Amino acid sequence: MTATPFSKVRLTGLLLLLLLAFLLDLSTGTVHISLKEILRVFFSPATADPIGQFIIKGIRLPKACTAVLAGCGLSVGGLQMQTLFRNPLADPSILGVTAGASLGVAAVMLAGGSMATLYAIKELGVSGSWLIIAAACVGAGSTMLLVLLLSRRLRDNVMMLIVGIMIGSITLALISIWQYFSNPEQVKDYLLWNFGSLGGVTGGQLLILAVVVVIGLIVASLSAKMLDALLLGENYARSMGLSARKARAVIICSTSLLAGSITAFCGPIGFIGIAVPHIARFLFNTASHRILIPACCLIGTILLLLCDTFAQLPGTQTVLPINIITSLIGAPLVVILLLRQTTVHSW
Amino acid sequence: MANKHRNLFLKVEAFHIKFGSILRPIDNHVDMKVLRPLTKFILLAFILSVLSCREGSAGKTPARPVQVPSSPAKSRIKFAQGFTIDYFDRYKEVKILNHSAGSADTLDYLLLPAGVAIPAGHAHAQVIRIPVQSMIVLGSPHIAQADFAGVADRITGVGDGQYIVCPVVREGLRTGRVRQVGLESGLNNELVISMRPGVLMTMTNPDAAFGGYRTLMDAGIPVLPNADWLETTPLGKAEWVKLMGALTDREDLVNRKFDSVEQAYQRLAAIGKASAIRPSVIIGMPFKGTWYMPAGDSYVAQLLRDAGANYHWSDTKGTGSLALNFETVAPVALTADFWLDVGDVDSKKEILSRDTRYEAFRAFRSGAVYSYNRRVNAAGASDYWESGAVNPQSVLADLIRILHPDALPADTLIYYKQIK
Repeated sequence: MTATPFSKVRLTGLLLLLLLAFLLDLSTGTVHISLKEILRVFFSPATADPIGQFIIKGIRLPKACTAVLAGCGLSVGGLQMQTLFRNPLADPSILGVTAGASLGVAAVMLAGGSMATLYAIKELGVSGSWLIIAAACVGAGSTMLLVLLLSRRLRDNVMMLIVGIMIGSITLALISIWQYFSNPEQVKDYLLWNFGSLGGVTGGQLLILAVVVVIGLIVASLSAKMLDALLLGENYARSMGLSARKARAVIICSTSLLAGSITAFCGPIGFIGIAVPHIARFLFNTASHRILIPACCLIGTILLLLCDTFAQLPGTQTVLPINIITSLIGAPLVVILLLRQTTVHSW
Repeated sequence: MANKHRNLFLKVEAFHIKFGSILRPIDNHVDMKVLRPLTKFILLAFILSVLSCREGSAGKTPARPVQVPSSPAKSRIKFAQGFTIDYFDRYKEVKILNHSAGSADTLDYLLLPAGVAIPAGHAHAQVIRIPVQSMIVLGSPHIAQADFAGVADRITGVGDGQYIVCPVVREGLRTGRVRQVGLESGLNNELVISMRPGVLMTMTNPDAAFGGYRTLMDAGIPVLPNADWLETTPLGKAEWVKLMGALTDREDLVNRKFDSVEQAYQRLAAIGKASAIRPSVIIGMPFKGTWYMPAGDSYVAQLLRDAGANYHWSDTKGTGSLALNFETVAPVALTADFWLDVGDVDSKKEILSRDTRYEAFRAFRSGAVYSYNRRVNAAGASDYWESGAVNPQSVLADLIRILHPDALPADTLIYYKQIK
């Protein structure tokens, strides 16, 4: 299926919506900054109020950019998982990839708790963020590989899903052991990390995240054809000359890069990965990944930008952890969509 | 007279033998017969002091009471909200208060000298035999309190050795006299029981379920939440030394030292509050976009008021921290004159490696960044959390010297250092 005019119109509409959501996210917050002032910050910085400039360019813009990256990455990662396992409930966190990433971060934050390691990490400076991203990716990647190794023996999707959840549980248990033996300060840091946040990623870190997510997305779009073929069953895919093992490897790499890097920088962000692919299929009524992948990017970004806007409503001085908001908005959305259709289609 | 004292001495020694592990080396294996007159006199003085400490034992000596020095000084609590000490004829009673759950949940402790039976009507109280000869402490301020009362050498166990600054305890850890028993959740019950401490001090909030310590209490080890961190004023926090004084019968010394701490603090606070210029300050550093700022009723906010600082959140309610987003703090942070308590960082470069946005802060550019890590041990733990807890006057003096360089005679800072 190629991009129909119908799809093109909808994609363009979503793109406009995304721009609006982006502007909304930039213009709302605890401190009131008028739209005129925001325009001035971008187009004539010299005349803008320095505080407003700092808040827009230093705080809100990086956060909105992180929301765009995380929104794209998580929803495409979720789409890939749902197709690979042909299961509507699959998403990176459900199959233990996010837990694996958390385990990697916990290894750095908690087990690296021996003072010497912490000092070493401190000395590394910016490379400290590389260390965390690497640890999270190794954690996510190895968990996914384990899931896939087991998936070769288990043909049944439901069994596969259960196995994935079990692996996630084991991983979380390992983290709990670390937490139990770590001192309260480190555990608190880790718990805060676990709440998820779009606000802590700036400057060089944002650049690192952008590079990794873009690579993950490129790999994902290259795999669109494989994903389409996989939908028809592995035997069919093989008859088309596609090596199922190779396809899996590519998809795992892409998802691990996306989920691993986003989890490393923002903490685990739930529900975007599972909710957005369903919304995309519902809106575009297609199974073609060449449409679903950009659609997921747009919808995921819009959803996460809106979640971020709601997380820091004007009039309050605190910001709710993004993870709470995505679940609060994502879960009802999925329920509403399920109520409006009789079957989860396109499998 | 000497004979009577000797009898008492033997009694004390018998008590010590009975409770072998808490035996102090000083009063062990002393043969009275070979003592020279001067030594005899010193020993007599020592025994008299033992007598005076052991109110109960003194009370038990028959008929005509000896002219022992008057009973130990009593401590009166002026600032601390978290505990009370009441003095009775032969014992003391300590209550650890639980403000959020009401008085019904107060924890009750009887401080009984050796040999004194539990008074009636105190079935639920935990009994601590005083003077406490050995203790396990889980919090850094507890070590400072013991040091303040001159009994740091009675600490036989600590939670985690790497955070300790006190030389006496560090030496004890090195020689094995002091053991590590693990922190709250990882507390090694069996080790604690085998060490038979006179008391175990925890950092637990008395509100929290106390059930986790049931095993220890059943084993006869008194568990005392020493929650100085719940206090809302620096003097209230420091005043927990009086609890340590009551436990070790050192009220006299502790009261005297605390009075001078209090006077010094009030004198400094008067200087700080009277300052005409009030530099604006921000505290701490955000983590993952959330900035935990001390609330208006916290002891940090009180310190800042006493130091004559302009603290933007001084009028907020609450004794803990406010969880603010970066954006809320930013307008204040960008223009604040001073940036304090940035944590365990050593250089401005390190601050930037956490987040490059801090470069925009006025205090960062002007170099007015200070943290409480001047005195750190090899593992990076700061003495601010330890001895700083019982020396609020030194902390306040540091803050005044930072904020108002001309208000006090020039001197080096004690806990704070400039981050360059």
